[in-house]
Amino acid sequence: MADFDAIVVGSGMSGGMSAKELTERGLKVLVLERGPQIIPERDYTDQLAPWETPNLDNVPQDEISQHYPKQYGGVAYAIKQSTKHFWVKDDEHPYAEAEGTSYDWLRGYHTAGRSIMWSRQTYRLGPQDFTANQSEGIAVDWPVRYEDIEPWYEQVETFAGVAGSEEGLEQLPDSVFQPAFTLTDAEIAFKQRVETRFNGRRVIPARIAHLTDATEEQRSLGRSNCQARNRCHHGCSFKAYFSSLNATLPAAQRTGNLTIIHNAIVQGLDFDPQTSRISGVRVVDAQTREHRTWTSRIVFLNASAIASAMILLQSRSETFPNGLANRSDQVGRNLMDHVSSSGVAGILNGFEHKTTFGRRPSGGIYIPRYANITENDKPYKRGFGFQGGARPLGNAGGQIAGIGREFKEAHRRPGPWRINVLAFGEQLPDPENRVTLHPTKRDRWDNPLALFNVSYGDNEHIMQQEAVQDAVAMFEAAGCQNITVSEADLSKPGNRIHEMGTARMGRDPETSVLNGWCQAHDVPNLFITDGAFMTSSACQNPSLTYMAFSARAADYAAGLLAAGEL
Amino acid sequence: MNTGRTRREFIQGLIISVGGAVTLTACGDGETTSEDATITATPTGNDGRFYLASEMALLSRLSDLIIPRTETPGALDANVPGYLDGLMADWASEVTRQAQHQTMQDLAARLNSAVDNFLEVDNQLALSALTELDSNAFNGDDSLSGYRTLKGYITQAFFATEEGALQELKWVAVPGRWDPSVDIVAAD
Repeated sequence: MADFDAIVVGSGMSGGMSAKELTERGLKVLVLERGPQIIPERDYTDQLAPWETPNLDNVPQDEISQHYPKQYGGVAYAIKQSTKHFWVKDDEHPYAEAEGTSYDWLRGYHTAGRSIMWSRQTYRLGPQDFTANQSEGIAVDWPVRYEDIEPWYEQVETFAGVAGSEEGLEQLPDSVFQPAFTLTDAEIAFKQRVETRFNGRRVIPARIAHLTDATEEQRSLGRSNCQARNRCHHGCSFKAYFSSLNATLPAAQRTGNLTIIHNAIVQGLDFDPQTSRISGVRVVDAQTREHRTWTSRIVFLNASAIASAMILLQSRSETFPNGLANRSDQVGRNLMDHVSSSGVAGILNGFEHKTTFGRRPSGGIYIPRYANITENDKPYKRGFGFQGGARPLGNAGGQIAGIGREFKEAHRRPGPWRINVLAFGEQLPDPENRVTLHPTKRDRWDNPLALFNVSYGDNEHIMQQEAVQDAVAMFEAAGCQNITVSEADLSKPGNRIHEMGTARMGRDPETSVLNGWCQAHDVPNLFITDGAFMTSSACQNPSLTYMAFSARAADYAAGLLAAGEL
Repeated sequence: MNTGRTRREFIQGLIISVGGAVTLTACGDGETTSEDATITATPTGNDGRFYLASEMALLSRLSDLIIPRTETPGALDANVPGYLDGLMADWASEVTRQAQHQTMQDLAARLNSAVDNFLEVDNQLALSALTELDSNAFNGDDSLSGYRTLKGYITQAFFATEEGALQELKWVAVPGRWDPSVDIVAAD
């Protein structure tokens, strides 16, 4: 008899949702988390005042060089002395990059994974995203359509809580919303001017996973409305933003069906050729280095697109000499992220007599994709959405002229309003963009290091050049002054922290790893519902989609178990 | 949403929202001038953990001139020099530390060439010398990049202290709501 009905590998965004959905259907579930336990009362630091975090909350420079060169280089804004425990130390968790390439693998190992540190932008994919591969003859067709996932979006959004506004856009379907964080006056002016000048472009409030009108269900989990502190990268004691730790794991816990084991690094999945099923999940304890094997009737991989692919590649057998469920040779390939380039900023005059109250968390405005939707003259495929916002420039950290009373009191005044945007673009799937097992290098637990070989193609380069030009044109139309374009090439692959595509869905087992239910074509009791299943990346932030597919797959898997088909 | 409050009312509103736990020194009726309020740096004469005694004296004078005591505490009240001494000792790399020593040395030379003994001259002369240097620093003189960095440290440190954050900047721990449009009437 198996130890559990289901094992979920990973407790982050998708793992938490898988665990919730499976436990609520009566399954006994074991969640294996490779990192230590996060206890909010002990580990969240959101209640610290500025004067309670010495040295401007900066991590010592030598410590960054020694432990966080990759992580800090990628997300300096989030790695503070009081939050560094949410991020891995690069020297303890190294990886390798193919010569001439560079990759940002930015992550944290602990309860709830990156769902603690995410930026909470939350958007549905649209109907066009599920048909683009087919219509353009790129990669393989998604085996599902928007209508298949729509009810699961609704279910997840209702549970998680998404602040946003109904806009009726076909390419960016509305979610189940709680009240949006209203636009500032400068943002409203920008919206009006841009929408007047560019027919088909819209400027809308960012959609973010924060509670603004908590439901009974959300309150029953100890969650309450966002307090507008913008301390989210420190955790949230109000549980106002969605994370596994704030929502799905407590929901799973209260069923009485959940067991979580921390410091459990999965090294491989045992395959039984007689049954064509996974027969065991091999684990090493990160601290004691003891090995053991757990068994279950089904396995959900939710370790992240990269880590789940690594687990499959490490799970070799006579049946699958290139890695479990890898008959198609697609495991680890088609690694995608979203791509950005230069940020564009400008001053919107006329709002100097305005300020705001409260600190809005995450985004302000979002400009949904219009390229190849309402404008079809583009020299590239797919498109991008802009994220940004407008706020008073404020004191600029002391980098203004003047001394004495006038300088001191200048910091009270909001000053001119600055608006900025950054494009998040779709990356096309390319089988040569991949993660593999390093042939010789291993980590301290004797697991092969990840070896990345990822670069952008012409489409990403052309798209981002055009995106910057588009942004400048919109800023000019809006009457912005002092428009600046930051010096930047394309963002480093991985830097948007939206990795996906390494075990793609498809209709044909010869060219894809998973079927339309996120179930491995060749291993019926294996489901993968982190970003690995994504057949294309779209341009929307993907966490909501991972969770919707997790809920859908969990329902399907539980149904198969109940029917005796697994 | 558009309440039409004055800035003073706005600030008072912020403080009320944190439960009135803060002394409202910024909104008191007593008005003093910057010159009256500025206090003289009183270096201890001792080395800090990072800064030499002479550097601490210069840092104290700079901090006091840049962010003086007014109706609210100034940089010296908030012990900004001590804060920066800890920053350099505990956060900075060797490269940053060397750059900081160089900045202090350069600033001492420049200011002492502008006035005779910058640490000892009266506030008006010191203010005049530093104002000219500051103006050059923010008008394209790249040789003063170290000063710009130091001014950033002083300012950020001040607003990160309890005195600077609460009494001057009116930082609110838990705003509790988001209001995107608050009018500031320039009545005060």
